[in-house]
Amino acid sequence: MSFLQPLALIGLPLIALPILIHLINQHRHRTIPWAAMMFLMHAKRLSKGMARLRHFLILLMRVLAVAALIFVISRPLSGGWLGSIGMGKPDATLILLDRSPSMGVQDLQTGQSKRSAALQKLSQLLEQGDYGTHLVLIDSASGQLQEVDSPKALLDLPGTGSSATSADIPDMLESALAYLRANESGRADVWICSDLNENDWDVESGRWHAIREAFVELEGVHHFLIADAGLPSNNLSVRVENVQRWERGNDAELVLDIVIRTEGDGDVAAQVPIEFEVNNVRSVVELELDRQGASLQGYRIPIDSKFKAGWGSVGLPGDANPLDNRFFFVFSEPPIRRAVVVSDDLKSGETFQQALTVPTDVRHQHRVDVIPMDRVAEIDWEKTSLLIWQAALPSGLVASQIEQFVEAGRVVMFFSPRQSTDETLYGSRWMDWQTSGSQQVSNISWWRGDTDLLAHVESGDALPLNELRIYRYRSFESHGTPLARFADDAPLLTRVPTDRGAVYFCSTLPTAEFSSLEREGVVFYVMLQRALEQGSRALAVASQRDAGPNVLAGRNQWELVASIDDSQLLSQRGLHAGVYRDGAYWAAVNRSQIEDRATVVPVATVDALFDGVSYRRIDVNVGDTSALASELWRVFLIAMVVALLAEAVLSLPSRRVKSTSLIDLTVASGSERR
Amino acid sequence: MLQLKRDYLDQKVLERLSTLQLHARLPMIGSVSGKHRSPIRGSSLEFAEYRKYVPGDDPRRLDWRAYARNDRYYIKEFEADTNLRMCLVVDTSGSMDFAYNGMSKLDYARRIAGTLAYIAAQQGDAVGLYCAGTGFHKEISPKRSATHLSAVLDELGAMEASGETGLAGVLHETAERVPQRALIIIISDLFIEPEVVRNCLEHLRFRKHDVAVFHLLEQSELELEFDRPMRFVDMEGGEPVLADPTIIGPQYQRALEMYLDSMNAVIHDTEVDYHRVRINESYDDVLARFLLGRTPKRHK
Repeated sequence: MSFLQPLALIGLPLIALPILIHLINQHRHRTIPWAAMMFLMHAKRLSKGMARLRHFLILLMRVLAVAALIFVISRPLSGGWLGSIGMGKPDATLILLDRSPSMGVQDLQTGQSKRSAALQKLSQLLEQGDYGTHLVLIDSASGQLQEVDSPKALLDLPGTGSSATSADIPDMLESALAYLRANESGRADVWICSDLNENDWDVESGRWHAIREAFVELEGVHHFLIADAGLPSNNLSVRVENVQRWERGNDAELVLDIVIRTEGDGDVAAQVPIEFEVNNVRSVVELELDRQGASLQGYRIPIDSKFKAGWGSVGLPGDANPLDNRFFFVFSEPPIRRAVVVSDDLKSGETFQQALTVPTDVRHQHRVDVIPMDRVAEIDWEKTSLLIWQAALPSGLVASQIEQFVEAGRVVMFFSPRQSTDETLYGSRWMDWQTSGSQQVSNISWWRGDTDLLAHVESGDALPLNELRIYRYRSFESHGTPLARFADDAPLLTRVPTDRGAVYFCSTLPTAEFSSLEREGVVFYVMLQRALEQGSRALAVASQRDAGPNVLAGRNQWELVASIDDSQLLSQRGLHAGVYRDGAYWAAVNRSQIEDRATVVPVATVDALFDGVSYRRIDVNVGDTSALASELWRVFLIAMVVALLAEAVLSLPSRRVKSTSLIDLTVASGSERR
Repeated sequence: MLQLKRDYLDQKVLERLSTLQLHARLPMIGSVSGKHRSPIRGSSLEFAEYRKYVPGDDPRRLDWRAYARNDRYYIKEFEADTNLRMCLVVDTSGSMDFAYNGMSKLDYARRIAGTLAYIAAQQGDAVGLYCAGTGFHKEISPKRSATHLSAVLDELGAMEASGETGLAGVLHETAERVPQRALIIIISDLFIEPEVVRNCLEHLRFRKHDVAVFHLLEQSELELEFDRPMRFVDMEGGEPVLADPTIIGPQYQRALEMYLDSMNAVIHDTEVDYHRVRINESYDDVLARFLLGRTPKRHK
């Protein structure tokens, strides 16, 4: 329990007052000489137990009444978890608000989302208490710190609205930490409002240890987590996985790959209407659903051929989370898929060229250039989608050009150079060649089939990596994520994490001297074609982007064309799902793919993240309209009245025994004896 | 008329009660002629019985009329009237000093004892006084002189209540030391165990004494009507008791009832002349009731 006027609790020792008065009265009784002591002693003996109990109860009632009065004055709040107000006045209160789409799950009856419900409760609570001289909001979408005038203002701030961005709770905590350190705040409360989405919390991250250690060092910082971990009973989300604009003669069409996911354990409608909107033309398609949802691959929408680029959206009927019911897409003419192979090995270069030249779709135009190392300067970086680097790792100018190339969203694949090299790029370095014996070959024991270059094909069949034979490969050091491994855990293909674009390291070469990649063909071809396609996306004038504060960086003239929230401010651009246009360039901003796979972190795991720091978790439900804390003074007032009434009843004189036999005192004498 | 200077004696009460006489309920053996029946046949005008003549009887006492009717000799006997010894036993224990509204029980006892002593002396009876208290113990044997009455009345005026009660001892002592039948008048609050009282009264009755008891009680003792906790100080020197009458009231009443019931049983068994008196009553009414109650009823 906590109190709005904790200073009033100083008066708590006053509960001893009735006992003190009782003890004083023990010595202030009126003294009277008494003759009939024999009856008095007898009565005392008879009433000893009951009298003591009655005395005790009377005293107890008086003590309770005084205690209740003190509690009434101290204005207690419900919620045993709430200790912030009782801990004293904080210098600063920081609010870390998760604005990710999953926080948009609504209570269907009240229409209130998890985010707004948590915010409203927190606002009420802070309004009742003392939030210190600084009230600071850190929202997950912008990651910026914002001073707020009052808790009530939180409800109207654009920085507390919904967004399509994912949250990064550790990053927000680091921001809070930086603020507390910079301002040398003493007592501070850090309130986190989140739905415990696994993606937002990133519990496996090594950052948590450092955050925890840093907060332990900061004395007087208390953490409160308002957790609404409930999943919606029935929610559908829609995502356009791929969109292509094709021309066929004078006609044009859009080809869409759409995925609908179901969430929750409620009954799923057998059919769901999907609304398409392209160039302000709407159409509806009924789609069969199963437990996992539905997938609509290659759905064609005819468009006027004069629309070389444009936008559209796919929508679902309203459900628990309105933020994942509409997905925007943009389209444009497919760019020429251009790849450059840098290799001093002529044979390998030809192999790469052969695999990249043949398009997966005849409607795409492919162009592949194979150049030796000394002609790197000829590379047209702006028009290239994929760079195959089968040479020693570059350094200097070329290395920085490659980095810029990747930052622009393109793809680089490094293949093992024949010569040994000590250069390091992207934290990775080639090591020595590993050679299998003449009779032995290295097999692929594991590869990642759910995503990236080695993902299963559309039919669901896995790529035949298990049939590959690798005779020679280079081991290498890298902090990247393996996509395929040999039986000895050495990686075949590794992806290095980058903000944009993609960087891959492949430890062998496709020629027969090194592997069966060329001979088997399929894996090699698919892998390169996917890398080329991935890199080509960045070349298109229309691009699909994940919402984020810097998603529209690079161009300054973006205009909002369509959005879920039409009233969004300039500062909130890129944070909401919508379509933006800057001249010939189009950008569709949507929630990231990982937001559609909502997994809740167990509360025990979250609690463990705060081990060693002052932390309390407050579980709430989106449908729960009760306040986080409510004043309880009425309860204590009633308790005081009850205690006083009980005391009065106990203090009432006992009903007197009618002494009728005593009134007639002239008792007849014994029978006369004459 | 004896000149009275004792302020506890009220002249008007004495005059009012002068028309009543103090009678013994049992035959008394006195030293002189008086107004009380005697077990010994005498020469009063009160016919007692006929008795067969035996040789040696005075022939002058033969009832010739009876001889004429029955042809047998009968001696006609008459009651002998004698005086009585009245022993006033007054409890002078500390509890007798209790007074809540008005006079104390000792003052009340003083008035009853003084008035009775005066009445008895006036009708020629011997009066004695025994003060029963550990703090105040006096003993005046019954005599019938006016001087003796004065001494008794002086002693009554001077007696004080203090210490524990010595009533039981005094009663047993009186039972043994008063040689002949006497009227023993006990004036006390009897705050002793009823069984102790029973022993005393049975002892007195065994010695053929006529016993009368004035059991004095104060109204507040009966009702314990205090509305706040009090410190009760034992008037006989015991430990003080802190009690809340509002809480222990019912138990007190129950204890009192039990005591009075036991006392009733004692009175019934010992056949003494018992008067339970609230001291806010007028003592002359109590005495009038006492004297009238002892007046012999005439047989039709």
